[in-house]
Amino acid sequence: MHAFHITYRNTQGTLMRILNAASRRALDMPYVQASPAENAHTVILLLEVNAKQIGQLCRDWHAIVDVEEVRAAVAPKNFSELTTEWEFAPHPPASVVSRGMSATAAMA
Amino acid sequence: MLKGSEIVLCCLRAEGVDLVFGYPGGAIMPLYDALEGSGVRHILTRHEQGAVFAAEGYARSTGKVGVAMATSGPGATNLVTGIADAKMDSVPLVCITGQVRSHLIGTDAFQETDVFGMTLSLTKWSRLVRTIEEIPAAIAEGFHWARCGRPGPVVIDIPSDILKAKIEFTGPVKFKPTARLSDIHAESGFGEKLIALLQTAKKPVALVGAGAKLSGAIADLRKLLDALNIPTFATVHGLGAVKLDAPYYLGMVGMHGTRAANTALHDTDLLLIFGARLDDRVTGEPSGFAPNARIVHFDIDPAQLDRVRACELPIVGDLADTIPAFYRQVKTASLPDWTAWRTEACGPERAELDPRGLSQSTVRFLDELFSRMPENSFIVTDVGQHQMWAAQRYRSSFPRGFITSGGLGSMGFALPAAIGVQMANPDALVVCVSGDGGFQMNIQELATVHRLKLPIKNVIIDNKYLGMVRQWQQLFYARNYAETDLSDNPDFVAIAEAYKIHASRLGEDEMREFPVTQQTGDALERFLRSSEPELLVFDCQPEANVYPMVPAGAALSEMLFEEE
Repeated sequence: MHAFHITYRNTQGTLMRILNAASRRALDMPYVQASPAENAHTVILLLEVNAKQIGQLCRDWHAIVDVEEVRAAVAPKNFSELTTEWEFAPHPPASVVSRGMSATAAMA
Repeated sequence: MLKGSEIVLCCLRAEGVDLVFGYPGGAIMPLYDALEGSGVRHILTRHEQGAVFAAEGYARSTGKVGVAMATSGPGATNLVTGIADAKMDSVPLVCITGQVRSHLIGTDAFQETDVFGMTLSLTKWSRLVRTIEEIPAAIAEGFHWARCGRPGPVVIDIPSDILKAKIEFTGPVKFKPTARLSDIHAESGFGEKLIALLQTAKKPVALVGAGAKLSGAIADLRKLLDALNIPTFATVHGLGAVKLDAPYYLGMVGMHGTRAANTALHDTDLLLIFGARLDDRVTGEPSGFAPNARIVHFDIDPAQLDRVRACELPIVGDLADTIPAFYRQVKTASLPDWTAWRTEACGPERAELDPRGLSQSTVRFLDELFSRMPENSFIVTDVGQHQMWAAQRYRSSFPRGFITSGGLGSMGFALPAAIGVQMANPDALVVCVSGDGGFQMNIQELATVHRLKLPIKNVIIDNKYLGMVRQWQQLFYARNYAETDLSDNPDFVAIAEAYKIHASRLGEDEMREFPVTQQTGDALERFLRSSEPELLVFDCQPEANVYPMVPAGAALSEMLFEEE
């Protein structure tokens, strides 16, 4: 199980597009939590995915107009133990991202 | 005070729109009521799908945003295939749909559908407009996303009460985008890295896709390819990007690509990709794709990089910037001598591009037809065997000249798309090639052709089958021709004449001689040179197959050929 933490501008349909990236792959979504955070919104998803699907999902999410950042982590067994120790999911392609920085930070 | 409908049309004009394709209905009636005097010309098709395919043809042939309009409910749902088609082939498209009155949304009202919801996965961006004040920003933002980066479709859904409301209108607005994740530009120094890769490559090749054309960088690309002088091939959407007479050009690559192109792609040790997304029709089985190649991928859409195979060197950015930058490096670089590789890759198998030695009447017919068309003509195809034959025999260096539904493969695309192409290019010769199956899917658009007197030259390759499906049934399903028999087709000549369009027939017997007889040649000339819309039905071999063919699940090196 993997956890994904996505930051997005809460414009019309953006959250639905984020969820649709998972649903179109017939992935179950046992946990979804969306909430406002500072100037944007965040959604946390838990998904049972393999490595190839992680790449596909990250590509789909990064291509959504109002998604700002995607992070990933291995999900704990207990949902309540979700921490904020997220790793940055590299913006495809991985090679253009500086080590340890998100694409957003790289543009700053 | 302006109504919402008038504001929509004013904002469309501000975006440079002077032509829209559509079909009216209840919810969108206020917008139609405002058309007269708006400066926006509306083309009435006979089905909403015809409207959206026509808007696509307009966009594909010009690079401008195509606009389609439809009413709510079934009108909107009839646009969905075209929206999906535009997404797959990166076509800039704005669809404006009427919606039921705001207070009825969500009540399953008459002709209400959640078009916003159903097109979420098919659009770059979409908006259900909630107030009249939102209209200018929605249109400005919609056009921005349709055009920028990798182009694509957007949907703007407007309730009828919003179209009827009035406000003091201060004018269209400009959309100012904030920084986006996709606004990543190629890292500086990529040119040096790429030169270093080329200097160690023994069998480099170049693959050109639609992105090279969409970027407008064709002239620079051709200079670059001349400088590199390496075996080069194109996807179906890249046809026309490479100069046809370039000695290194090997034609189309992929499932029905040329033997030379597929072989070179399989054997390469360095693959340079310019604006192609490595669709499975191009790669064959991904595990067997270019097994020895390092990949260098130029693309504006970062989501396409690393998608099929990891890149050695991804170069993200507009090809209009990255190609000239790379060319400047190549001009002064010392590169290996690839003469032996070029001779091997571009040698005798290039003879496949030679029109002599043809074995099928349909192929000879298309060759004969295309050879009589001027360079800046448009060929619009439907989907199926004729599409692949037309792509294989395409003989032009006109970048936007070959228009087809590639990624989605929508039958019924050709006739309405040809309408859009002809409307956008009134002085050009537009030849629309369809199969007998696909032509019937939007046959009603002959009425649009007749009304507008569009001099489109329609060709039906009539083999009385759903030919491509029949081919697969022959090769992979033991000739079980389930539900592909169209032997009871109507008389297409009579149908065209009922739509007041001149029609004629040609049989495959007339293609047996090479070159064709004077009589046949004259008939083709009359067909092409007519100033009126025309239909030509080519009665051809029912069970001819398209070769070469890479079966599904096979690598490009496992092509089937006609002699097998």
